[in-house]
Amino acid sequence: MHELGLSRSIAAIVSENANGRAVKRVCVAIGPLACVEQRSLLFCWDLVTESTGLSGAVLEFVDADGDTFVIKEFEFEQETA
Amino acid sequence: MCGTCGCSDPSNNVTLTNVESGDSIVVREGGLVPPGSQAHPHESGGHRDQHHHHEGDDKPHVHGPNGEVISLEQAVLSKNDTIAAQNRGWFEGREVLALNLVSSPGAGKTTLLEATIKAASFANDLAVIEGDQMTTNDADRIKAAGARAVQINTGAGCHLEADMVAEAVKSLQLKSGALLFIENVGNLVCPSMFDLGEKMKIAVISVTEGEDKPLKYPHMFRASSCVVVNKIDIAEAVEFDEALCRENIAQVNPEARIISVSAKSGDGMSEWLGFLQEHYSDFRQLAE
Repeated sequence: MHELGLSRSIAAIVSENANGRAVKRVCVAIGPLACVEQRSLLFCWDLVTESTGLSGAVLEFVDADGDTFVIKEFEFEQETA
Repeated sequence: MCGTCGCSDPSNNVTLTNVESGDSIVVREGGLVPPGSQAHPHESGGHRDQHHHHEGDDKPHVHGPNGEVISLEQAVLSKNDTIAAQNRGWFEGREVLALNLVSSPGAGKTTLLEATIKAASFANDLAVIEGDQMTTNDADRIKAAGARAVQINTGAGCHLEADMVAEAVKSLQLKSGALLFIENVGNLVCPSMFDLGEKMKIAVISVTEGEDKPLKYPHMFRASSCVVVNKIDIAEAVEFDEALCRENIAQVNPEARIISVSAKSGDGMSEWLGFLQEHYSDFRQLAE
């Protein structure tokens, strides 16, 4: 239920760090006790990133311990220049 | 999920209403776009010339085989947690004991608070931050019971977040040594994740909900230091097994203090008030 707000938080943090550049993927670590539903998060991710600078960025997950809920890294779109 | 329940409606703002003055302000704009992200549109070409300038930018980054990979290792809730830590410091500095009340809708949080306000004469000052999706009904009830209250309407939101509490506290003008109740949105799932800066979470469960609530929603009961079992006066009528409920709470959280009350009839209220007073005094001594 709260995955909408969580998606917004992830998008806000990545946007700040991406500084306007196109992002290809975002990797988030989620522990079993984090109370985060991956499918809901994916659903909301598409909604919150639509028509923003993060549009099209893929959200990926890796398993982690305990209640970990951390943005591990993100990757910029490759240069086309 | 969000498309059907309406919580993705962009018109859903978070508002704060001071029921004393009747003033209402928007704390957070509704809508799906996270703050800041619109400020970074895909400029055509413009940003491509800038992105290798890293002056003043000490964020760790490595160049991978495809695009550039930026290692963040940042907690998703770090922004909320930072504001919660600020709230906690603010409360400690002013000896304000802040308690975060969580329960499912209808467990009797507001009724428990009404009864508490009338009896908690030990506190220098008493105030309540009310969280609900809509209406100022609860804040009006608190005001009628004799305490100051602000109402936060979360609109789409299913829980309170630390920035909303920070904003609400500003409008309350709490005295030093205040007892502050934060009545969270009725929801046994989401509020467990969001630290507001409170001293502790207190879960309220009512006898009509069944003995196995703590097993069905373990995160919330694990996060709470105290569980109040409310409406105990009608336990027999709804065939509520109190011993079993206590066992279930202990199973998910052996440390939790369990207090059975009826906010309506007054049963058990002296134990609840004693618990509050004990923590209130301990907190003030610690702060000195």
